[in-house]
Amino acid sequence: MKSISLFIDKGTWLNRLHPYTKLLYILAAVAVPLIGGNLWLFVAMIVSSLLILASGKIIKNALPLIAFSFTLIIVIFLIQGLFNHSNETAFFSVFGLTFYKEGVMYATGIGLNILNMLLSFGIFVLTTSPQELVDELEKSGFSPKFGYIINSVFQILPQMMSTKDTITDAQRSRGMETEGKLIVRMKAFLPLISPVVMSSLINTRERAIALEVRGFGRKQKKTWLSDREKNKGDRLIGIILVALIVLTIVWRVVLCR
Amino acid sequence: MPVITIENLKYKYPGTDTLVLNDVSLTIEKGEFIGIAGANGAGKSTLSQAVMGLVPQFYKGAYGGKVILSIDGEGEINTKTTPITKLCEYVGLIFQNPFNQLSGAKDTVYGEVAFGLQNLGVEREEMKRRVETVLKQLDIWEYRDRNPFDLSGGQMQRVAIASILVMQPSIIILDEPTSQLDPQGTEEVFRVVDQLSKTGITIIMIEQKIEKLASFCDRIVLMDKGRIVDIDVPDNIFSRDDIEELGVRPPVFTRFCKKYDIKNPDGSYPATLERTMALLVGREIDVTEDDIGEIQNGKKAESVVLESTGPEGEIVFNVSRLSFSYTADVDIFKELSLSLDKRPTAIIGQNGAGKTTLVRLLKGLLKPVSGTILFGGEDIAEKTVAMLAGKVGYVFQNPDDQIFKYNVLDEVMFGPLNIGMSEDEAREQSLKALELMGLKGKEKENPYDLELFERKMVAIASVVAMDTDVIILDEPTIAQDYPGRQMIAGMIHELSKQGKLVIAILHDMDFVADNFERVIVMAHGKILLDGGVKSVFSSENNEILAMARIQKPYSFLLCEEL
Ligand SMILES: Nc1ncnc2c1ncn2[C@@H]1O[C@H](COP(=O)(O)OP(=O)(O)OP(=O)(O)O)[C@@H](O)[C@H]1O
Ligand SMILES: [Mg+2]
Repeated sequence: MKSISLFIDKGTWLNRLHPYTKLLYILAAVAVPLIGGNLWLFVAMIVSSLLILASGKIIKNALPLIAFSFTLIIVIFLIQGLFNHSNETAFFSVFGLTFYKEGVMYATGIGLNILNMLLSFGIFVLTTSPQELVDELEKSGFSPKFGYIINSVFQILPQMMSTKDTITDAQRSRGMETEGKLIVRMKAFLPLISPVVMSSLINTRERAIALEVRGFGRKQKKTWLSDREKNKGDRLIGIILVALIVLTIVWRVVLCR
Repeated sequence: MPVITIENLKYKYPGTDTLVLNDVSLTIEKGEFIGIAGANGAGKSTLSQAVMGLVPQFYKGAYGGKVILSIDGEGEINTKTTPITKLCEYVGLIFQNPFNQLSGAKDTVYGEVAFGLQNLGVEREEMKRRVETVLKQLDIWEYRDRNPFDLSGGQMQRVAIASILVMQPSIIILDEPTSQLDPQGTEEVFRVVDQLSKTGITIIMIEQKIEKLASFCDRIVLMDKGRIVDIDVPDNIFSRDDIEELGVRPPVFTRFCKKYDIKNPDGSYPATLERTMALLVGREIDVTEDDIGEIQNGKKAESVVLESTGPEGEIVFNVSRLSFSYTADVDIFKELSLSLDKRPTAIIGQNGAGKTTLVRLLKGLLKPVSGTILFGGEDIAEKTVAMLAGKVGYVFQNPDDQIFKYNVLDEVMFGPLNIGMSEDEAREQSLKALELMGLKGKEKENPYDLELFERKMVAIASVVAMDTDVIILDEPTIAQDYPGRQMIAGMIHELSKQGKLVIAILHDMDFVADNFERVIVMAHGKILLDGGVKSVFSSENNEILAMARIQKPYSFLLCEEL
């Protein structure tokens, strides 16, 4: 089976940080610019996310996320810059296409927002093992069932991928062409869907039995293989992040008066 | 008070009208080691599920009678009404298919094995101590950080066993727990549970490995068509005249003693090597080669001397300097060279040796890191798997990985249709293959509703139907009773006679000795031995065989003792 998530363990301070602290960072990164209502705040948060990614040596792994958000941003830019309904003031033109200031500003806002969210989310996903997240959720009182669901969400894609590979192996072993040109591979895709779904359903039933005979779902309190090492950073960073959010709110309230 | 009391148990799965358990009554005392023997479909697994409470709590269906456990300090427990999450404190069940035992909640072997203990609320230090002990007992400590889904079949089966043993229930039920283990591993599992039974834990072991049941069990429950035929000590059970008719082949020692009329004082025949030899002390008997051949195969020696002199005929596969690895840091093969001719060939060796990996490379499903594999003189790297499919057939280790259609006939016809047979021809070939594998009359069934042994047969039939020049079987005898193994043996002979190359990976050494001409012994990605049955299992190879965690066929052990 392929690795369960995007998580990579580089043993950096980010990996040692509590998952909740990183979740709090996402909250701050999203909330601060929105509450603050200033485009430069987006830029500040994006730069900070990039710096954090760099310090965790995972900038390279975040590239696909960045590339993905840029394609989105370009599309938004084109549409809004050219066709936004409040477009009035011409901004610049290329190849005889005129971009309008209102649309461009609007697109910049959305674009920065997306990039910001994806980057802060990226920090979380790339540095947190799903297993750890689930364990911490359960330790802080979420039910094990909820934990298992979260876990399944992380596993469902890799698991489906591996089921897909198994079934592909079964099919090509018996003469169905699945390799080569795009059209061949596309033709091979359809016969995969129903067995993959079926096999996932059956797996779910088998897993339910496997879980019960191992005592999963008992009312009693679970025990854990390990506690997290207490990390001073968590506290400090937590305070800074909360302070940042509060400050922004205060600043906004004062400003609006 | 016996620890397990089963009274008049009757059970039908939902939507069926045969009683899979038909008035079963049985009492088991604390600390007993009970074996359950019987043909496929006798109701062994269902009985074990009834003790675990899965029948009827999970599978529903019509249920009559009762199963009562009496556990020290807990009083009487009815498995029909006590929730499974509670029952699992007292009863552990190891499933027939290890893949189904994994919780999917943990991404390391260590975490997977600890999972049950977490749920039981076992304290941390105790938990770590127990996990370490079982992982070492089952020889998988070195894999503790691996993802349990990335293990070889046998390694996964060890994880499944460990995950239940670690919970230390007072009743442990094992449903063919060693079907994919190497012979040494099988022996170890039996030893471990035997130790447990000496400490007062009750063991119920369902097995097709009859010789092992004979030497470890206190009593054996013989089942047939949902009923208990007999409960007795092993020697008595296997001395029954109707034992073969019930789908159980008595151990080679019983068969031998029957022939020479070597009896216990009570008139039964001994079923183990030790008990046989004890009776032979101070007695001369005259055993000829012919007789030994007859004990092994029920045939005269000259017709079964499967000794071959060396490569003969054309080379089918030529593997040269093959290297392969799944992950960058571990090499599975390094510069392996091998050629395969038309002799029926068995590949044996320890769990994780690389047997499955090797045949998947031959089939083209995996690509070598370096080196070449020539098939019929052509490099298979230049072809897709589908292009080779008409020539090389491969039956997967786990049938669930191979089956993907909703009725048996469609499943079997899939291959033939793909490699260009006409609809009629494909149907004809498929029906022939189904008949050969004993599945006549099951064409319309959904493979997912069949038992594991039948699914394995469906998987075999679906490859046999393709009429390929080469057929590779990855542990074909998993879950098969004696008639099933005979059927597979028959298929192997039939295909070899037609001039096809049959390659099989096996852990059943007696099956190997009876049915193959060439034996390849692997360990740690290397070929340790390669030759005819007699030369490979000869006593000068004892050390090497031990290294590959092989035990010799029982018939060879007997002959050596004589
Ligand atoms: N998908 C995988 N990813 C990583 N390692 C793997 C994978 N599949 C197998 N391995 C490892 O490769 C080695 C050889 O595995 P293989 O399945 O070929 O063993 P085998 O000889 O068939 O064993 P068994 O008798 O248990 O079936 C084992 O150590 C196994 O853990
Ligand atoms: Mg294997």
